Order: sequence, then C-alpha cells, then structure tokens
Amino acid sequence: MATKDSLVAMLGKANVIDDPKVLASYAESHSFDLHFAPWFVVKPKNAEQVEEIVKWANKTKTPLVPVSSTGVKLRGDSVPSVPEAVTVDLSGMKKILNVNRQQRMVVVEPGVTYDQLNAELAKKNMVIPGSLKPKKGQSVVTDVIEAVPRLNPMIQWNFFDPLRCVEVTWGDGTRMFTGEALAGPRDLKTQWSRQQWQVQYMGPWITDYYRLITQAQGSMGIVTWASLKAAVKPQVHQLYLAEADDLTELESFVYKAMWTRFPDEIFILNRAQAANIMGKDAGEIMQLKEVLPPWIVAVGVAGRELIPEVRFEARSKDLIDIAQTNGLDLKEGVANLSGRALYQEITKEDTGGTYWKDVYMGSHQNVFFLTQLEKTPVFLKAVREIAQDLGYPTEDIGVYIQPKHLGSSYHMEFTFPYDPNSAAAEARVLDLSEAVSVAAADLGGYFSRPYGKWAGIQLNKDAQSLMVLKKLQGIFDPNDVMNPGKLAV
Amino acid sequence: MAKKTLYDMKPVKGYEKKLEDFFPMERRCSNCLGCKFVPFEKIKSNRFGRNCPSVWYYNFNTYSARGRFQLGQNIIEDGYVKFEGQALDAIFNCQACGACDVACKVTRFNLEPLAHNIALKERAVEKGLAPVELKAMAKQLERQKSMLPDAKKADRANWAKGLKLKDVSGKETAEYVFFPGCQYAYDPILQKKAQTYVKVLQKAGVDLGYLGNADMCCGGRAKQTGFRKEFEAEAQANAAAWKKADVTKIVTPCADCYHAIKRQYALLGIEVEVVHAVELIADLVKAKKLKFKKNIDLMVTYHDPCHLGRLGEPFEAWNGTEKKILNQIHTWEPARPRYAGTFGVYDAPREILEAIPGVRLVEMERIRENSWCCGAGGGCSVFSPEFSDAVASERVTEAQATGAEAIVTACPWCEINLTGIESDNGTFMEVVDIIDLVAKAL
Amino acid sequence: MALTKEFYRALEDIVGPRNVSDDPAVTENYRCITAQSSAHSGPYETRTPKPQAVVLPGCTEEVQQIVKLCNKYKVGFKAATTFWAAMGYIGNDNSIQLDMIRMDQVEVDAKNMIATCEPFAIGATVQVEAMKNGLNCNIAGVGCSSSTLAGSAGWVGFGPSSISMGIASENLLGVEWVLPDGEIVRTGTLGSDGEWFCGEGPGPSPRAIFRGWTGTAGSMGVCTKIAIRLHPWPGPKWIPTRGAAPMYRADGLDMVRAYTVCFPTWDAYAEGFRLFYEADVCYLAHRQFNMFGRDIKTAMVEILTHPEKQFRDLPEVMEDPYIKAQNDEMKIDVQVVVAGLTERDLDYKEKAFDAILAQIGAHKSEYYLQPDIEDFVKLYLLRLARKNYNYTLCSSYEGNFGLSPNVFVAAPLMEEASALKREWEQTHTGVAAVGGDSDMGSASGIGGGGTTGWEFFVHFDGFDRDSITDSCAFIDRTQEWMIGKGLGADMGRWNADARKPDGYDYSQEEHDALYAGLPQPALAIYPWKIREAFNPNHLTGTYMKTMTPPEVKAAQKAKKTQKK
Repeated sequence: MATKDSLVAMLGKANVIDDPKVLASYAESHSFDLHFAPWFVVKPKNAEQVEEIVKWANKTKTPLVPVSSTGVKLRGDSVPSVPEAVTVDLSGMKKILNVNRQQRMVVVEPGVTYDQLNAELAKKNMVIPGSLKPKKGQSVVTDVIEAVPRLNPMIQWNFFDPLRCVEVTWGDGTRMFTGEALAGPRDLKTQWSRQQWQVQYMGPWITDYYRLITQAQGSMGIVTWASLKAAVKPQVHQLYLAEADDLTELESFVYKAMWTRFPDEIFILNRAQAANIMGKDAGEIMQLKEVLPPWIVAVGVAGRELIPEVRFEARSKDLIDIAQTNGLDLKEGVANLSGRALYQEITKEDTGGTYWKDVYMGSHQNVFFLTQLEKTPVFLKAVREIAQDLGYPTEDIGVYIQPKHLGSSYHMEFTFPYDPNSAAAEARVLDLSEAVSVAAADLGGYFSRPYGKWAGIQLNKDAQSLMVLKKLQGIFDPNDVMNPGKLAV
Repeated sequence: MAKKTLYDMKPVKGYEKKLEDFFPMERRCSNCLGCKFVPFEKIKSNRFGRNCPSVWYYNFNTYSARGRFQLGQNIIEDGYVKFEGQALDAIFNCQACGACDVACKVTRFNLEPLAHNIALKERAVEKGLAPVELKAMAKQLERQKSMLPDAKKADRANWAKGLKLKDVSGKETAEYVFFPGCQYAYDPILQKKAQTYVKVLQKAGVDLGYLGNADMCCGGRAKQTGFRKEFEAEAQANAAAWKKADVTKIVTPCADCYHAIKRQYALLGIEVEVVHAVELIADLVKAKKLKFKKNIDLMVTYHDPCHLGRLGEPFEAWNGTEKKILNQIHTWEPARPRYAGTFGVYDAPREILEAIPGVRLVEMERIRENSWCCGAGGGCSVFSPEFSDAVASERVTEAQATGAEAIVTACPWCEINLTGIESDNGTFMEVVDIIDLVAKAL
Repeated sequence: MALTKEFYRALEDIVGPRNVSDDPAVTENYRCITAQSSAHSGPYETRTPKPQAVVLPGCTEEVQQIVKLCNKYKVGFKAATTFWAAMGYIGNDNSIQLDMIRMDQVEVDAKNMIATCEPFAIGATVQVEAMKNGLNCNIAGVGCSSSTLAGSAGWVGFGPSSISMGIASENLLGVEWVLPDGEIVRTGTLGSDGEWFCGEGPGPSPRAIFRGWTGTAGSMGVCTKIAIRLHPWPGPKWIPTRGAAPMYRADGLDMVRAYTVCFPTWDAYAEGFRLFYEADVCYLAHRQFNMFGRDIKTAMVEILTHPEKQFRDLPEVMEDPYIKAQNDEMKIDVQVVVAGLTERDLDYKEKAFDAILAQIGAHKSEYYLQPDIEDFVKLYLLRLARKNYNYTLCSSYEGNFGLSPNVFVAAPLMEEASALKREWEQTHTGVAAVGGDSDMGSASGIGGGGTTGWEFFVHFDGFDRDSITDSCAFIDRTQEWMIGKGLGADMGRWNADARKPDGYDYSQEEHDALYAGLPQPALAIYPWKIREAFNPNHLTGTYMKTMTPPEVKAAQKAKKTQKK
C-alpha cells in the first residue's frame, strides 16, 4: 500500500486508479505481444506532477507507461510489457495552451485530440496537418511524436513535422524544454511575452533533444506539451482521384507530382483500404470492393487565403496534365467514390464506435514500414504470395502508401482484417503478420517505428545503431523506468 | 591599335617587388576556396570542377594559392616556417598556370596569387634552394640561351633551314619577325611544324623574317620557375637584338613566348607588338587570304594554353599605391588593371577550327579563362614528372569525355606534355598542333 | 608535444606516407588565423594551435583507423573540409588535423531526389550534379564553396533557398559517422539496409546527437558521408552564363525571375516575409546586397557588373543621381527569386507575389528589373558562388548582431541597430563606413518559414591591426546592446564559449563556470553525459559545450576530501 499512498500523496485519491476492471481496460490492444495490466493508473494534471511521478519511479524503480490517447489501443506501445508498472494517463491534460496565427504555431497538452484542436484552430482559419482517419480520442501529440504519417508530405520539410518543440520529463526525472524553447527560461508565458513561439525545433546547441522522444513509444520520457506547426485552412479544396489496375502504373505520376510539390495531400490506397475507409459496415465494404478500382491515387489541391482560386486552378490543371502525361485520368472521383467524400472521411476523427479497420471483420493486424516508392511493388508481391501460401484472401489486404518528408520516404502499410472470434483466423493472421514483417525486413523494409516484435527484427539489423540507442537510454533513462520492454531486442 | 615599340629597358617602378611586399595580400586572403576550383558559377561537374593542379594532386592546403599566402605569412611574419622540406616542395610544384589568379579575381580586387607564388619561387632561388633540375636548366639557359637540355646556341636557327625566310638580324627587313621559341627551334618534330607555320603565313602573303642566330629563349619559363635574373638577361638580350634589327612586330607560335613578351617584358620597359600565330592566321582567314579547301572529317576539342588564354591578356604595366576610402575600403591610385582572364586569346583558334570544313569542335568543361593546365608549366615537367603527367592525364581524360577524336592546341609545351599520356581509362588521344590542321585543309 | 614516431608511422601505414605530414610548412598552414576567418568569436588576431600532423584520409575505413589510433594514444583530432571557419580547426596542442579533401564524391539518385555526398563535395559541385537531373540543393548562406556535408552535419546550414528547400538539418537523410571512439554509425536505413533515404530511428533517432541547431562543429567524431534531400529545379543542366569574366550573368532561365522588393517600413518587411512563407511563392529569398552597406549597395552592384569599374569609383557612382535615387528607394529591401515549375505555376507565383506586394505597400525595384542586372542577380543567388564578396571591400568581415530569429521581433529593432553601427562608423575608423545597416540574411532559416537570418557585416581590414582591434571593440559594444535588449549573444560572439580568444579549447572548469547560470542547465549537462558516453577520451575539442552534472561534481568533491 506504500505505493498507492505515495501516488495518492502526489496526485490525490481521484487520480490514482487501482480498480482491476479499469486496469484491465488499459491492457487491451490489437497487439499480440506479451502484456500486463498496469499496477496502477495515475492521471497527472500538469508537468510538475509528471516530474514528481518520474522521480518517484526512479527512487522506487517502478516502471512507468505513458498513454495520452483514449479508446482502442492499436499498437500496444502504451500497454505495459512488464508487471507492476504504473500507467501515466495524460489524456486528461487537454489544454490548448496557445494558438499563434502569425507563426501558425499551436502549443498543446498531450490529451488534446484532433477534432478538439481543429475546432479551435478553425477560429483563426488554421488546421493541423493530420494523419489518415485518426481514431476517436487520438492524442495529436502522440500521433505526431510517433511519426504517424501526415496526409500532406509537402509541408514536412523535416521528417517529424509538424512537431516542433516539447516539454519533456526524461526517464531520469529531469524536466526541460527542447529546441529554441530550451534556450530560454522554462516558462512558456515568459517566452511568449518575448514573442518566442516555440517554432524552431533544433538544438538549441548541438543535440536535437526532441528527436530522442520521437518514435520512442514512451521509452525515453514523458511529454507534457508540444508545439506544432499548423497550416492555413484551405478556402477551396478538391481531393482528386485517379485509378489504376496495377500499383506500378502510379509510380511515374507520383514521382513527378512529388517533384512539383503541387499537391497538398497525396497518397495511394488499394480498393480494400479505400472500402475500409468509406464503408459503414461489412456489407457496404464488400459492395465498395466490387466497384472500386484496384488502385487509387488521391491528390489534394488547395487554395488558401491569397488568391485561392488562382492557385487552385493552376495546381489542378497542372496535376491533371501531369497525370495525363503519365497515363492517368485525374478527376473528382472514381467509380462511385468522390474525392470530396473521401477527404471528409480521412480528415476527421473516427466515429468512436468500432474502429474503422475493424468494421469489416471485427479486428485487424497492421504491418507498416518505410521504403521508396519504386520498391513498393516488390513488397506487394511478396505479401500477396505469403498471404496466398497461408490461405489468407489477398483481396482483403488493405494497402496504404503515404509519402513522407517531401517524398524522401514512403510509409507502406498492409492491413489484414480478420475475425477475432475465430481462433483459426486469429492464428492465421498472426502467422501472416509475422511472416510479412520478416519478409518486409528481408526486402529492405525499414521499421522506423519498431513496435512489438519489429523491435527485434529491426534493431538486430544494425548493431551499431543499437549500441548508440542503448547508450542514449542509459543517459536519459538510467534506471530503465520508462516503458521497459519496448524497443527491446 | 598598334602597340608603341619601346626598348628603353628601364623596369617600371614596383617591378622589383619582393616577397615582403606581398605581406598585406598574405593577410588579406580570406581562405574562400576560390583558388581550388573553377569559378563556382562556371562549374559544370564534380569530376572536372577543380582548377589548381597543384592542390588537386598534392591535396595539402599548402599547395594551393591560399596555402602559399599563409606559407608566405608564416615565413615572413613569424619565421614559423623556413625555406626547407615541404615548403620548397609546395613552392616549386606550382605550374604558374594562373588558374588560381583568375578565380581569385572573380571577387577580389586586391590579391595577386600568381605573382605571389612566383615571388616565393624567386626568394627560394635567391637562396640557392631551387630543385637541381631547375638549377641545371638555368645554367643551360645561361650557357646556351635555351632551357632545353640538349640545345646548342649554334644550332638555334637550324629549324629554318630550307625556308625562304628573311634574316632581319642582317640587312633585310620584314613586317613580322617569326619568333619560334625553344621548342619549335630545337625539337626535331616541332621544327617541321615551325616550318609549316612559316609556309602558311608566307602563303597568305605575310612579310615574314626571323632573327637567325641572334634569336634566343624568351626567358618566360625562367620567370615562371623563379629565376628572375636569368629571365631578365634573356629579355634584355632579345630586346637588344630586336632594337638593333628595328623589330616592331613579332609573331610566335609559342604561348609561353607570347606571354613572356607581352606581359613580362612590359615590366622591364620592353614593349613590342606581339601576336600569336593563331591570331594572325585567324585574321588571314577572315580576310580570305587563307582559304580552306580540303575537308577534314574530325571531331576535335581545343585545349586553351594557359599563357595564350588567361595569361595572354593585353597588358599595361601599373605603378601606383593603395588608398583606403570610407574608412577601410581598399582602392588603388591610379586605377589598377585587373587581369581576370577576360581578354585572353580564346576566339582566334576556335575561329580557325570552325572555318576548316569537316572539323567539328566540341568543348571541354574547363575552357578559356578556366582551362586546366597541360601540366608542363612552372618547369614541373622537368623536375616533377609524375605530377606533370598526372595533370596531363587529367586533361586527356577531360578531352575524352567530350567524345572528340583529337586534342588541338596552339602551344608546343602543351603539345609535348599531352602527347602519349594515358587518360583515366588507360587510353591515349591524338594531340594535334593547330597548324597541322590548317596546312592540311589549305 | 610531439607525436611519437610509432604514432606517426601508424598514420603512414593507414593513409600512405604521401598523405600525412608533420612538416611545419604543412602543419602551420592548418592553423586558423582568426582575423582572416569568420570565427564568430573574434575578430582576434590569434591562431588556433598547430596540429602535430595533418592527415588526408581517403575513405571511411581509414578515418576509423585514424580515430582508433588517436584513442589509443590519447591524441586529439578534428576533421574539416574547406577550412574556411575556425570551427574546423583543432583546439589544443596534442592533436592532429584531418583534411578530408580526398573524399569528394557526389552521386545523385534522380528519381528519389537524393544526393550522397562525401566531405569535400562542395555546394557548387553537388548543385551542378543535381541540376543535371532537374534538381537543386539548398546551399547554406555561407556560399557554394562550402562543403555540403559540413554545412549539413557540422554547422547551421540555412541559406537563401531555405524558404523553399529547408535548412540543411531538414534535408539530411542517412549519415555515416565515425564516432569519437572510432565506432562507425550509419543512421536509419543506412545502418540496416545500406539505403540512404531515411536517417531517423529506428525508434528514437540517434541522429539527435549528431546534429542540433549548430551541427557538431567537429566535436562528435568525423562525418564521412551523408545523403541529402534534393529539390526541384526548373532550369537547364547547368546555368549557362554570358558576359566577360568575371562579370558573368545567367542566361536562358526562362522559368525564373529575380526581383528586389522595396518595403515602405520594417513592419511591412516582417509582414511580407510572413506572407512569402504562407503563399509558397519564393524559390529563394535573401537580403543579399545590403551586406555591402545601406549607403553603397546599389553603387556596389553597379561596380560589380561593369568590368571597367573599381572600388575607387564608389564615391562617384554613389553620387550618380539615378543610382542614389534607386539606392534610397531600397533602404529596406530583399532579393527574391520566383521560379515556376510550369507556366501556370510561374503565373500563379507571379500573381501571388504581386498580391503580397500590393497588400503591404511594397514594390519591385526598377534598378533590379534591368535585364543585365536581373541576370546577374539570378546567377549570384541561384549558385551562391560569390561568398568572397563578403570580403571584397576590406578583406575581412565578421557577422554581427544576429538579433532575433523571429522577424517580428527583429524588424522593429533594425533602425536602432543600424544607428548604433552608423555612429561607430562615424566616430571610429576601423570598420568600413557603409551606412550603418549592413544586414544580410535569408528570409527563412527553416523550411516554410518561421525563423529569419540576421547578420550585419562588419567589414574590416585583416591586414590592419587597428582595424581588427576596432572591429572587435565594436562587437563588444553590440554584444552589450544585445544583452540589454534581451536578445542573447551577438553573432560575433556565438562561438566565444566554444574556443577561447587565444584559440584554445576551454577546460571543463571554465565551461562549468560559463554555464552555471543557464536558465535550463540540462542544456549543458546532457552534452556532458553524451560526451562521456561517446567520447570518453575527450579528443574532439570544446565546441561541444558541456557542464559537469551536480551529482558528478559532488562525487568529485567528496573524492578530493577523502584523499586529503
């Protein structure tokens, strides 16, 4: 009881949870990896409390697992991998601390969600660059820190854009700001009074601290605010679509479009994934799969505050021309899927009911990694062959390909829906996702976000990088209190 | 406008510039890297982006113009470095090709890297520290009036045997005196080319003479290698011979001689109109006094000799002082000419090539004021043959990259140094004297 | 502290005798004469320490062997490429210098818009290789003569094109790095699959320790190869030039326009920049020619574009009524390049650009619309080939002020800063009197905007000791002013805490004392820990700014007490 007493002393009784039912809910996820229900769930209200918790954890050698989103857990990174861990639930820290139109900057706490943030940003004619149809309750900060791909890679000059500065309490209990915010006092209000809006994310000296919390699955420290670069909201917008029978048919167009930077959003879906996004239920998904083309490339064009129509028209015509030159017909919709409808679906949070990838069969497994566009067909072929070998229906495999960082790399994601009520189906999908992961790694797929078993697959490929990572973990989390078991080989 | 002829042989004030006089320049170099590359906006590839053979080959910064500025500063100001070891190696392994000089002057108005490099050589020579091969060359110059090892003064005019050429050292007179230079005078292969030059010019009706045995080395190479006194002796002897023969116009097929007479002699108070043979031939072609009748099916590339190109600009000896304005901005009083390679002889040889039926000219990346040296300059081919050959090989490689079948040039030193040199891929390229193409096409 | 024969012989074994030297003619040439370099700590009339040897590695494996050797013998080392800035030079007597000149390759993957560069591939060569493929690279403001790798990994690395191409840090993909202890790390996809396209992760990015805002300035080992992101280029395979040397001008860039914008006020200037960011109209935006000085900038462009003119003509050209009127009009100015990837794109950008100018009451300078001047500016800015114009007036300069990266903070202070400099020019003789304001800087320091470059040029004569001393005193004065305004370190003192005025490294005690008052001490404490983990023998100088952690200090104190 000493543990609970300590936590209660720090956070108050209401913010320390040990109800087994609630604890169990924090252990549920789509991951098959070894997991445990947390010992306690604590709900800090501010950064000072987070710092106190981490210092306490260091003293007591208690594992901490941060979580900021609510709802279904998709990857298992916020579920304890070890027993007797304390989950630090930041979803209640929902303050939007600052919105600055001049620099298009926003500072938010980790519990802030997309719909919440966009509603606030809309008041100043801005929007946060989003990911593909985020789940209900998705923390924007977690989404960005975990480098979930943005729909618009053209405003990602940096790999981690729109992430800029953060406040972090490292595993050793040190709380600090990063980037330009680290050069000044650890007080946002003072910084704002000096017109410092936490824009510049590097350094401020030689070390890029914020990079150490990215893709870390909470294993380095706990972020208590992040500054993000917003975009000006489009006044006129169209998501154009073009169809293809084969993935390879899209390559030259996408490369050329990326070269021009004319698109806003740009991504590729196969028919199954497009159906998963649009379908309200399994039946509708099946119907859509009947009519949708095998492959769709979606290209957004926007006009914003300055001569929006002129920009929109120029970009639209050019992209249509480029598509035509590359054998594609770029238009406002394909089959019975309109670009506008698709855009609406992907840019807002999911309903909060069954997660959209689970609608078709009840559950799903995802395998995703980074590659280059020209290599994506190789992965596709390999995945289909594995699926065929294992008897998994290839037509159910959802594919989402998203350029990142101005097209430097491409997120390639395979979604395997399955029936969770069938032990055989579950076993098969487990085998499938494991085999696909191994095959992808063998083919050069890069698990930059190595969740679960991918950590072993990826980190074992490069002993030197692992050595650097271990040394850095030793510096910033010397007692290994931050989400132990993650990023483990 | 014809150049005024002047043989008063009084060096202009400031000619006696010593290494110490370069001290302000040494401290004013800003280490911008300009002396290691073709002027940056003119770079066309990473492969052929470099301009200084010396630092390209030896790599240590000391072997660049910047390095030599700092070396000079280390020697003069601080005594940190002495004239020994790698200091001497870096000082002499400079082809004096002037590529650093024109690159520097793209942005700087107050630095003279080439003159400084030569001043370093001169100081080392004064101290008796030149490489033995160069010392021997200087000795040969003193004795035989040529730096070529086997040359004999008595044989100097042998090249002209059989030619109907006026000997202006006697009573005959001619509009132009043909000054072949040592290579054309002594090298058995080049002698024939010298004869061709004469025949072609005569065919076009040029009133041509020569100095017979009174002819001697221009001394330009002595100057490039730091043997200033020997250079002066040659220049003065030549000038005396010209004065005696009342020479007012000289035509030479040698780029080194052209540069020496045009640029270096002027500093000694010797001013005489000098043209390179290609300039004269180009004019004759334009005037239709030379007509190309035969087709030569050949793709060629043209190698700009350093001393005809960037170092072949019209020259005016300047004498003035520095003056600061607006507190610290450097200016010169009176205006000081700025030699950035702008007005070198680039077009004449190209006009000739373009006029020859069937010849197709394709350009290398480094041309005109940014031409890569053949490797022979600064006496390097004599005392540092591996370096010299490597530089030549780089040029042959660049020439091959154009797809040309032959390299054409208008300098005997370049011709010799590029001939028989393997490129990067171990193959050779034909090197052609421009006069051979001219003669063949007539 | 001479090297042992054994050490020197080992160096020869690694790189071959031809590529190592301890001859003073070589080693003395690898000392930075700080008055001749933009050291951002001077200008002082000092030299950095003399290396015990200079070594020229030809490949990564050789670098690794050298670094391991240095660790074995506890000999310091630093690698540099172009040796322009003081950051590249060693900081203590027991060190060797690596000159990376032999590693100069660049390769372009056109489809994926990536270039891989070795240390001595400079901006000019990387750019031309990119242009052959319809691509371009961000060249740091320092100019195309600087190493792309050094600008990406070693120092700040933003430039005129950062508004559309981002800062070097953003473009940095895979990196190959020999750590200070001799281990080789290849980041991201390079380490796992030999591919260059992503330098982040897996998991938390190890890249964090190699490249922050300033780059490592050689303090984290030797970066041997990088990949960078390339950007679209709507022009020919190289930019054709016309005109007599050296007054070259760009030719035939049909899809590119260059303008100089004249702003009515500094507020309009700041607002204009903000709108440039948002409307993505600029390929490049940089306040360039003002570096010569507010009073002389147009006269200087006139001189630089006419081969027959020289600096002695400055007073006369400045008095020319047309030039004077033009110059007065562009007191607050910026040079902008607008590039269209298609005709429609160019049309949109031109319209958007004009709309912005109309909105803020700015206009295009008539002088810079003259075709010959426009083409000169295009070549100048696109290839950024004339860094040495920084030095052309007096031979040396130091960057100064720095102000604030936020244009809305800095712009209102520009006149006060300019007045301060103008007053110094009038009451002292060491700094060129060019009209106070000699600010130069990129409209954006990072991709899409948000930070801005501010660098006043203090032109002084590197030969003239009085000029050096006076310019140093001026920077002391502006440092006071900056502190008074709460703007932090003057740019001329940015590296004052990385290398002492005598050119040597700081001791740990000195660094501890310097950083004792940091508002967030972790800024210097974590680098201490990182250094201990990756550079246990402390061999790479003090550009890595560190402070001993309190717990370590306490332990050290206790140990001392115990000994007593």
